[in-house]
Amino acid sequence: MKNDTATAASAAPRYQPASNYVDDAFYGWLNEVSLDLDAVTTQRTGRPDAALAAEIERLLTVESRLLDQHAYAEWLDLYTPECAYWIPATRPAGDPRAQITLEFHDRRRLLDRVARLGTGLAYSQLPASRTARQLSGLEIWASPGRSDEWRVRCNFLMAESRAGKRRVLGGWYGFVVRRVGDALRLAFKQVNLLDPDEPQGNNSFFL
Amino acid sequence: MNDPLPLAAGSPSWDWLIQDDRVHRTIYTDPSIFAREMNNIFAATWVYLLHESELPEPGDFRRAWMGTRELIVTRDEARALHVFANRCSHRGATVCREPGGKASSFTCPYHGWKYDNRGQLFGIPGKTAYGAEFKARDMHLARPAQVALYKGFVFATLNPDAPPLETHLGAAARFLDEWIEHQGGADNIVVGGAQRFHLECNWKMVFDNAGDGYHVPFSHQSLLQMTNARYGGGDMSYFADADRSRMKLYALGNGHTVIDQRPDMYGNSAWEQQRPQPGREVFEAHVRATVAEADAKRVLESAVGAGMNLNIFPNLLLIGNQIQVIQPLNAGGTTMHWHATRRRDADDALNTMRMRTQEDFPIMGEMDDAGNFEECHRGLVNFPEDEWIDISRHHETGQDVADEEGRIVGPVTSELHLRAYYAQWKRLMAAEPTLRASKSRIAR
Repeated sequence: MKNDTATAASAAPRYQPASNYVDDAFYGWLNEVSLDLDAVTTQRTGRPDAALAAEIERLLTVESRLLDQHAYAEWLDLYTPECAYWIPATRPAGDPRAQITLEFHDRRRLLDRVARLGTGLAYSQLPASRTARQLSGLEIWASPGRSDEWRVRCNFLMAESRAGKRRVLGGWYGFVVRRVGDALRLAFKQVNLLDPDEPQGNNSFFL
Repeated sequence: MNDPLPLAAGSPSWDWLIQDDRVHRTIYTDPSIFAREMNNIFAATWVYLLHESELPEPGDFRRAWMGTRELIVTRDEARALHVFANRCSHRGATVCREPGGKASSFTCPYHGWKYDNRGQLFGIPGKTAYGAEFKARDMHLARPAQVALYKGFVFATLNPDAPPLETHLGAAARFLDEWIEHQGGADNIVVGGAQRFHLECNWKMVFDNAGDGYHVPFSHQSLLQMTNARYGGGDMSYFADADRSRMKLYALGNGHTVIDQRPDMYGNSAWEQQRPQPGREVFEAHVRATVAEADAKRVLESAVGAGMNLNIFPNLLLIGNQIQVIQPLNAGGTTMHWHATRRRDADDALNTMRMRTQEDFPIMGEMDDAGNFEECHRGLVNFPEDEWIDISRHHETGQDVADEEGRIVGPVTSELHLRAYYAQWKRLMAAEPTLRASKSRIAR
């Protein structure tokens, strides 16, 4: 992760990469994005042009495919260094500062999870879940006041097969996509399951 | 299935099913044993329902369970708690279809019978169609024989002869007090949401593991390896050679047990032991900037777990800062509820860090345990001729010893936990308890 070594230098050497961005302002931003993603509206302002929409759609397609392929290092490379991955435990999502989530990770904890799965000894993923994600109903709009950032919402259906058992998970994804140099990167992914408040099965892979 | 049916056989020998060093597989797999557990254990002894802070305001209600029995717990306008069955007195429909919320009354969706939030019937559409005999009957929603609180923890039992809750908790109360003290006292605890998991295994697989200090370096090998590789060790790595650690396992009577991790987890700094949570550096800087140096360690440590696995038989597990509740569904199905807690006296930064800490283990550790519980269950079902589950670790080493307080103290990998709770399980299962629910009017 070459992006991480740059931010790693300053803080406690034991915890690499350092994670200095998950502060109150960051949570405030996530909550604002979360409300906007789930707003009841017929009109989004700041729709992208066709070329940009196609580029964003390609990014989401690749993101889904890399997860389906268990290519976690490549998957994480699609994310900005200061990213967040959030699966709310309620619907609609609450404030993660006050409420437990099913998962809330900064980049460092995503790396922890990838490394854990990579040991080959994570028994909840032996055998690994095979997944196939279908995305639909894509909506893209610009982040307010920014020309380099977009918000995305789409539905997902995920067929999963593991150890002879099949499941279907569903819900909607929210993303924040940002232009970083020449590339588009994901700064945030929110996974809104249909039933996060009901007992969950083995979701020890990435949703 | 070629299961021998020890109950159907007429005279089950509990002494045969539950031996000092092994237990029979059918206690996990047999539906008739599960059905008896729902009466003799999940109704006849004290069962944990919820924490008082989950019903902060008058009119609040929440569904809760005594095993497979569904209850509604409410707080009335006078702030009193009420517990009653989610079952209309008329034809049996559930009167509440929501997991929780606010309601001053419950109206049965089927024929419109109305109950107040104490479960008292106050309205029947077309009441003139009923006569004197009907009106003489008690038709309020059914209430368990006993409901009691211990420092905000609400318990109930259908057994009018069950000893007082404090007697039942016995030696476990001291550890529960210490857990509560870690949260800053009984009035300081606020439940902040839940993670819920469905497991395809018998509920006892979960209870078995709750006091198991043996599995950690194996079931959680991926987590320990990762923590070691990325951070040079940390949380739970002291379980690697647990019998040489300072941790102890205590059998506390009545089936309750505790693994006390504190001598190792808190030996130096529990905060330093923790795997890095999202926002860790920001929080630590905030604490060092806002709290006197002498208090910083205490505040940082209140963001991490209490350092014990306290198991209150049969369904309440205090792990880290979470209140974990076991809900059996059937012989091969269980729901786990992990209720997160925050502190009333804490600032937002501390409570946020508590949430991130409490999310660490469920996704990175519990999932592997859950997989192992399910595979245990599958193993027990799929080869009935291999009948026994071994619970003999440290049974013959003489290392489980009674202390001066009447507790039994063992090495942390001892299967003392299983032996102790199965002794209680056997006593309860062999008994013929009275179970009672009252539908009479509540005395005002």
